[in-house]
Amino acid sequence: MYSSTKTNTITRTQATKRMGKLSLLKKSLPLYLIIIPAVIFIICFMVYPIIYNIIVSFQNLTILNLKTGGTFIGLENYIEVIKSEKFGIALKNTFIYTGVCIVFQVVFGYLLAVFFNQQFPFRNFFRSIFLLAWMTPLVITGTLFKWLFDVDYGVINELLMNLHIIDKPVNWLGQQSTALAAVIVTNIWIGIPFNMILILSALQALPLDVYEAAKIDGANRFQTFRKITLPLLKPTLFVILVLGIIYTFKVFDIILVMTGGGPVNATQVLPFFGYEQAFVNFNFGASGAVATIILVILMCFSLVYLYLVKKEESA
Amino acid sequence: MKKYTVKQYLLLLAAILITIIFLFPIYWMVTTSIKPIQDVFATPPMIIPKTIQFDAYVKNLIEDQSLLPYLRNSFIVAIGTAVLTLLLSLPCAYAIARFRLKGASILLLVTQMIPGIMTAMPLFILFTKLGLLNSYMALIIGNTTTALPFAIVVMRPFFLTIPKGLEDAAVVDGCNRFTAFLRIILPLTKPSVLTVGTFSFLFAWGDLIFALTLATDEKIRPLTMGLTKFIGQYGTQWDNLMAVSTIAAAPIILLFLLLQKYIVSGITAGSEK
Repeated sequence: MYSSTKTNTITRTQATKRMGKLSLLKKSLPLYLIIIPAVIFIICFMVYPIIYNIIVSFQNLTILNLKTGGTFIGLENYIEVIKSEKFGIALKNTFIYTGVCIVFQVVFGYLLAVFFNQQFPFRNFFRSIFLLAWMTPLVITGTLFKWLFDVDYGVINELLMNLHIIDKPVNWLGQQSTALAAVIVTNIWIGIPFNMILILSALQALPLDVYEAAKIDGANRFQTFRKITLPLLKPTLFVILVLGIIYTFKVFDIILVMTGGGPVNATQVLPFFGYEQAFVNFNFGASGAVATIILVILMCFSLVYLYLVKKEESA
Repeated sequence: MKKYTVKQYLLLLAAILITIIFLFPIYWMVTTSIKPIQDVFATPPMIIPKTIQFDAYVKNLIEDQSLLPYLRNSFIVAIGTAVLTLLLSLPCAYAIARFRLKGASILLLVTQMIPGIMTAMPLFILFTKLGLLNSYMALIIGNTTTALPFAIVVMRPFFLTIPKGLEDAAVVDGCNRFTAFLRIILPLTKPSVLTVGTFSFLFAWGDLIFALTLATDEKIRPLTMGLTKFIGQYGTQWDNLMAVSTIAAAPIILLFLLLQKYIVSGITAGSEK
């Protein structure tokens, strides 16, 4: 396979001379071939489900006519889904959940990133050990926080009572008024390290000389933050926000483990609602409608993201 | 050894404090699992365990071995997912990087906009028709749909950093593009292979969605589903539940301690467009 340097130079000149369009295609064809397995996989198992969800959302497909296939029923699934009481609650909860989680994750993530952006011994170790919270499987985290939020022996009740914030134990997950808040706290804890790492890597890429100039000009901390850090971080923050929204919007695992959507729909969210349609009621058409609604909502967010990426690329 | 100032040691102290507070839940999970049951339910909570015992572990790993098949299934599915993801993503990311395929990343982003649980419904129906339901393959394919976009996003920028001249030289030397990829490029990709392999393993290990929907047969259900069974079975026996949780989290923690460098780089690479 490998020729000596002498023949190498000869073949090189010959190769460049003969390199017509045909041989160029011949040379790059194997490269198109190696992409084929991935393309087939993506089409069959990732694109097909999206299209299937959309198609099924216009059909009356249930477990009963699964073998024969459903028939077209127009927008009936959408009307049925949107009219149901659960949908409104789920939609509201999903937005509250996503919004509150993202805000707190980004704020705490930023504060921690600023802290870890300073030099001190074992900094990298501490920075990455935070990720344990993010990497632990959600089923485990959910179970763990159920224990922490436990009404009788939970640490959280004990701590809040010692701090005199509450005067008697609160049944966090067992009552409608606090269940969503408890789930949100859990997810904020999970997401903080992820945001911290991303913001930290953006902070480390900031140009130092700008800060020195600001210092010489007598800018205080707040001014530096508002006039320098924030504008420079803006592209990264937008990316983090949009990716965060997409991932947070898809909440499912911790709802299933911690509350099962209850009590009385207090923690009902769209993906869980869709799951119930498909795997509890076996109403695949309605489930497809929910999936399509989620897709449309997230598409709107992503259009913003793509617009920003484009703007950044052209800049 | 670098010399540090007093201020930097104070920062270290602060870092230790912040980390202890933040990771307290993990600490609480482990200590709950090694306390006698009366200490678990002590008021006020016993922050530092007085007596340490491993009864819950003996019970769940040795006396009652129903946890072990779940562990085995999780390993099979997680390793299978890592292998399949690597096989698909390596050549794909390489081609996307070399040919600067536009639209590929947009397509990948769109596929991530459907929650996993909603991808599960079409896959459930598809696998029912193909007779793949309740097989390791079904779970591996399901989990690969989560891992693959991430893998490609992480690997693409890596391939962009490899100079194109490298393969051109190989091509002139008589390799075709394919052998050039195998012999020249692949050996250079070890770090990103580790990153992608680790993450695919992590995703699959923690997956509940596909385990819940594509594996209705107890025999092939992974540990995450096993855990939900134990939650139902143990109710509020928190010592047992936390022991099972710790066992389930142990491979993750180990993998993390061994490969933290690759995990951190994976997260930061994943956020670059």
